Amino acid sequence: MAKSFKEMLAESGQELEFQSGGKAPDKLTPREIIWEAHPRIEKLKEIYMDSLSSTNNEFPYWYTREYFQHDNEIPVIRRAKALKTAFSHLTPLIYPGELMTMRKGSFFRASFPMPWLSEGFYMANESSFYQEALKRGSASVDEHSEFGQGGGNVPKSFGKVMSIAGKFGMRQEEIPVLLELAKKWEGKSVDDLGNKYERMVPDYDVKEAIMRSVVCMFDSGFTLPQGREVANYYYPLEYGFEGIKKIAREKKSEVAGKADGDGMVGMNRLYNYEAVIIAIEGVQKWINNYAEHATWLAAREKDATQKKEYQDIAERLFWIEKNQPRTFIEAFQMIETIHLAILNEDAISGLSAGRIGQVLYPWFEQDIEAGRITEDEVLELLEQDRLIKTSIDCFASVGVVGGVLSGNTFNTLSVGGVNKHGKTAVNKLEYLIVKAGGTNAMPQSNIALHYDETLPDDFLALAADVIKTGCGYPAFMNNDIAEQFMINHYGHEGMTIEEARSWAIGGCLETSPSCWKPLHLNGKEYFIPGGAGQPTSVGVHFIAMPKVLELVLFNGVDKRSGIKVFEPHNKKLETFAELFEQFKAYWEKAVDVLALTNNIQHDVWRKNNMAVFQSLTKPDCLDSGHLINELGYRYNATFNVESAGNVTCINTLAALKKLVYDDKKYTFEEMQDAIENNFGFKTAHEIGKFSLMDQEKKDDATKKYDKMHFECLNAPKYGNDDFYADEILLDWENWFCEHSETIESLYAEPMYSCQISVSTHGAMGSATLATFDGRLQGTTFADASLSAYPGTDKNGPFALMNSAAIWDHSMSQNSQLNIKVHPSAIKGPEGSKKLIELVRGYMRKGGFHVQFNIVDSKVLKDAQANPQNYRDLMVRVAGFTQYWVEIGKQVQDELIARTEYESV
Amino acid sequence: MEEKIYRNSLNFVPVDVAKGIDRSTGKRVNADDIDPNYERMPKCMHCKNFTLNEEKIGLGICSMMGKEHLAYPDMAAITCEGYDEK
Ligand code: SF4
Repeated sequence: MAKSFKEMLAESGQELEFQSGGKAPDKLTPREIIWEAHPRIEKLKEIYMDSLSSTNNEFPYWYTREYFQHDNEIPVIRRAKALKTAFSHLTPLIYPGELMTMRKGSFFRASFPMPWLSEGFYMANESSFYQEALKRGSASVDEHSEFGQGGGNVPKSFGKVMSIAGKFGMRQEEIPVLLELAKKWEGKSVDDLGNKYERMVPDYDVKEAIMRSVVCMFDSGFTLPQGREVANYYYPLEYGFEGIKKIAREKKSEVAGKADGDGMVGMNRLYNYEAVIIAIEGVQKWINNYAEHATWLAAREKDATQKKEYQDIAERLFWIEKNQPRTFIEAFQMIETIHLAILNEDAISGLSAGRIGQVLYPWFEQDIEAGRITEDEVLELLEQDRLIKTSIDCFASVGVVGGVLSGNTFNTLSVGGVNKHGKTAVNKLEYLIVKAGGTNAMPQSNIALHYDETLPDDFLALAADVIKTGCGYPAFMNNDIAEQFMINHYGHEGMTIEEARSWAIGGCLETSPSCWKPLHLNGKEYFIPGGAGQPTSVGVHFIAMPKVLELVLFNGVDKRSGIKVFEPHNKKLETFAELFEQFKAYWEKAVDVLALTNNIQHDVWRKNNMAVFQSLTKPDCLDSGHLINELGYRYNATFNVESAGNVTCINTLAALKKLVYDDKKYTFEEMQDAIENNFGFKTAHEIGKFSLMDQEKKDDATKKYDKMHFECLNAPKYGNDDFYADEILLDWENWFCEHSETIESLYAEPMYSCQISVSTHGAMGSATLATFDGRLQGTTFADASLSAYPGTDKNGPFALMNSAAIWDHSMSQNSQLNIKVHPSAIKGPEGSKKLIELVRGYMRKGGFHVQFNIVDSKVLKDAQANPQNYRDLMVRVAGFTQYWVEIGKQVQDELIARTEYESV
Repeated sequence: MEEKIYRNSLNFVPVDVAKGIDRSTGKRVNADDIDPNYERMPKCMHCKNFTLNEEKIGLGICSMMGKEHLAYPDMAAITCEGYDEK
């Protein structure tokens, strides 16, 4: 029987501290705080808990049918007509007991394919386009990604239900038409067209090799072309849909036939305004269909209370189809509708609702004052909002939805922060938003708390209570650091300090540009924030730093697959400085070719698939007449370069520096040999376990690598306030953040660095050999961008925070630190205070983000063994919360292995 | 033969591809079970404009307003302005 890594450690008297600051109690410790939602919400939640991710062809059928009737039409009009027809034909579905309604499609967890973006992955395997996609690496990452096998996922076909991409269920009756629709888009989708042109980029073959060897995780322009941004609900809330159409009609008369000094796209304004009107008509018809359905339901309903609720739903929908909302519930219904409409327009994950506590405040204030609604009724609506947002699925490939997103769609809410004048923005409605996060603890909406020194203490105490429910939110983001980033990066586009204050989190952790707009309700003016920038987390997606380093060590060749990724550098790498320079050179090469090819994909997207509906909601499209594709948004410098595996790479560099260069304990060749032989261990794939502790020695292994392996594990590690390792992080961050700003996006704007891992640390670790920090082949990287590698942060949370804050976080769009704390460590009001002090300490040091998993590791182990008992267990992964049963095994293993703090 | 099952019935509130709620009883039911209170739901298969493709399973033609389009029998037609019940 092969020895496990755990046994080897025990035998040698060595230890990795997976518990820090004491010992966890032997008994399983439950959550300290358990709150409940309103009975109506609990009932609806029961339906959710029992529902599968489901998909059908209604939207793509009508979109495709309409689109192909308009050959040669102006592209934006053609797109708007296809959208209008698709929206108009969505079958309405209202569940008994819901107060707010509408959904993406006609299931509780509905989503649908968009073959105009990419049709390859669900095409029959014999399709030449599918085979092409495999060759060019788009599908490689799927092999390294997996979904959780439980919850609402459909990992396997059953009965008359077919599993698509390992997550979605589709009726077998719908499969023939799915394939027919996909065929219609062969060679025409953004994926296929983009690939046709990206091949013209010199060194395209390097890009293919990068994707095939999983140095980079997924393309940008055809996967999730929008998202990681903040929605803006202002225009419909201020003018109503009829009001917007009126503005567009007036603007059309103003601009028809005029270039107004812009010979390139000035004339396009006419078509754009026309497209806006068409798209709104589609959304209005969709709302109207729901209103008619509610009327039909009311007529048949025998229960008087339910009948009245259907009637009220109908009345509200008929009203907001055309007008500015009058009441809180109408305003809330309207923003839900807009949110879903934007999501139906494109493949989007990470459309954040933003600071809805500010956006809905005018109606909240006036309704409460007039006695039209109570705080408890508002809480109930906020609880339903969480259910609506958690039910949102996004249809994409296994690699994208499983490997990167873990099925999460990141409809984050932001609270806290400051108002236009720099004073605390917290209001009564925001208390209720945070409270609802605890009373209806569900993965969505994740809550981002913008930490500012002016936040009231009881607001922070409430946040601590919600964290103790075990939901993994609120996450804390540093308001000052975010404002500084806004000014640094968007200053040249006109960002002022006043405007910077309106920022919010888009997606899980993406600091997104926003603006204030004056909203008028019953003669009173309010300034409400909303998104004003293009999508973020677009451009160069996740590049695995440890994988790039591995390529440096092996002269440009991916040893796992045998693919030559980069030209051989043929250097001896005799000094650490030379090694680090070569690492940067390969990084530059990867970023360069990925930026060029993804710029082309996005350019193809903007020509035929531009956002029409979302554009009309974002300042300043309606004023300028230009949509997203013609720089109509106020802020366009939103494209980025994303890194993954930051801490694993820093630890590896530190070990190389120490053992190969400074102490010269091992030669370069000995180090290469150990890595190629995985320190004498089997690979994680061979044994199906992905955390370091669970790895097993090869059956015939000698002790040849044991000493070296232990020395690698004991080499200096990030997270201990040890300057030896932290200095490498500092050097890297200073270089990386500056270098990213030299890359130009298709909108001729500088990019920036984005440092989140989402779930890529699982899939990318899976494709990476052993690393010289002691991590073994195929196991996960450290999570997030600043979380310590499990078991290596031995000096407590404050030392970890010192390491994390060694560099200036305002140089980057984000950074990410997750900490796992045992529930007993923060028990009672005293424990809450300690937790808040920990946050405060990190923010004062200049940290941007910290978040906590308050969970007993024993619970996670039990949940892995007995998933049927843990349908509602939630965990924090990277920047989001997800149901345990819906995440893949790689990430589950990493979560169990994370260092658990027994005291803070 | 018309399949009088839940997923073809107006008495059905779909939850997902496999199951839903019986509107009249409020009970959870399987989508493919016989619905005792069956009420025909408009679908392309019941529309005069629809012709089934005899060779390719699950496909057909919609000839609304004299133009031919790809169609499929199972598609819900509640929102289709051209639905004309057979
Ligand atoms: S008119 Fe409508 S319901 Fe009838 S076949 Fe055509 S798409 Fe189907």
